[in-house]
Amino acid sequence: MSYVHPEYLVDTEWVAAHSNDPDVRIIESDEDALLYAIGHIPNAAQVDWFSTLQHTLRRDFLTREKFEEVASKLGITNDTTVVFYGDKSNWFACYALWLFQYYGHKNVRIMNGGRLKWEQENRPLVKDVPSFSETKYKAKKADKSIRAFRNEVLKQSNAKKPLVDVRSPKEYSGELISMPNYPQEGATRGGHIPGAVSIPWAQAVNEADATFKTPEELRALYEGKGIKPNEEVIAYCRIGERSSLTWFVLKYLLGYPDVKNYDGSWTEWGNLVDAPIEK
Amino acid sequence: MPIPPQLQEIVDDFTTMTREEKLETLIGYAETMQPLPERFREARSKMEAVPECMTPVFMIAEKDTNGGIVFYLDIPPQSPTVRGLASILTNGLNGSTLEEIISVPADFFLPMKLDEAVSQQRLNGFMGVLAHMKQVAVRVGSE
Repeated sequence: MSYVHPEYLVDTEWVAAHSNDPDVRIIESDEDALLYAIGHIPNAAQVDWFSTLQHTLRRDFLTREKFEEVASKLGITNDTTVVFYGDKSNWFACYALWLFQYYGHKNVRIMNGGRLKWEQENRPLVKDVPSFSETKYKAKKADKSIRAFRNEVLKQSNAKKPLVDVRSPKEYSGELISMPNYPQEGATRGGHIPGAVSIPWAQAVNEADATFKTPEELRALYEGKGIKPNEEVIAYCRIGERSSLTWFVLKYLLGYPDVKNYDGSWTEWGNLVDAPIEK
Repeated sequence: MPIPPQLQEIVDDFTTMTREEKLETLIGYAETMQPLPERFREARSKMEAVPECMTPVFMIAEKDTNGGIVFYLDIPPQSPTVRGLASILTNGLNGSTLEEIISVPADFFLPMKLDEAVSQQRLNGFMGVLAHMKQVAVRVGSE
């Protein structure tokens, strides 16, 4: 058994061989954005989920026009193969990939294992920031089929259709809203969306080298909890970043046809007046 | 009570920096964080595991010969932003008295306009580290 869409993954060796390929752009996207400045894959560019990919006023992603600017400055054409990698088992790499897909860039990959595996293999990290000649990137209309908004999530919950909560077990149970010893940021209520099953995101990756688990392991993990390919699935976490990794796994590694990421996630749902919550 | 002068100095420095300078300065603080002294290694190894996505912040403190409180931190190099922010706090507070430390307002950093450089989640974490330092200071200060 192999992944349903193995073409969405590349390994570190492939990246090492293609980092200067003009048809390929390597992009680092981290949870901790300073890591890029400390050292990155030669010729890799950076996007930062916070300063590059967010709308500056609304709680939303950058507009289509701004996305075109960002992609053009990164020297990306509509045909470029864009490979994402990052820290924390590729969380934010998957988040960036998801957003590129949202604006219609289909030719995307994840470097399996991310920064961790690259470092473990003692591959070079450099501080030089590459520059690229600017392109005229044309984005497509936002693809809402991969992004869930709160009304759809409520419908999904009411219809008892699959919802995957990928946060830690204590966040799911409502014992914690975020992390211990830290301000319980972002939500006034704890718990989960009624009907959601708990499948923490990290169960999809191997802790040792941040690579994805095997197709067999992944299938057993999700199907074992009743998350099957025949129904539409919505994944969420706290701000939509951990769940974009789960989205990537379900959509491409397991080939589920209809998977959405609810980026509003718990920071929206746990504050939403009148939204039903289970503990 | 005003905040300790060396912390005030850091706050003032940041107010005049561009976004890029702030990021560079944060990296500088992250890279110059002192390693945890050997004598705290055992305490470090007993630290509770934190849930998956969090950066583990190990913190311990002791009194110096003048009765000031000195903090020692251990934060993985894979988390330079958290290291940088926490290092600002140790640089700004080490050697201060318990009273000075617990009097630092939770929003002392607003004039630094760190929100230009790091996300709100990080700033919440920054406030969390300060709150944690106050708790540790109270424990050490009353010993």
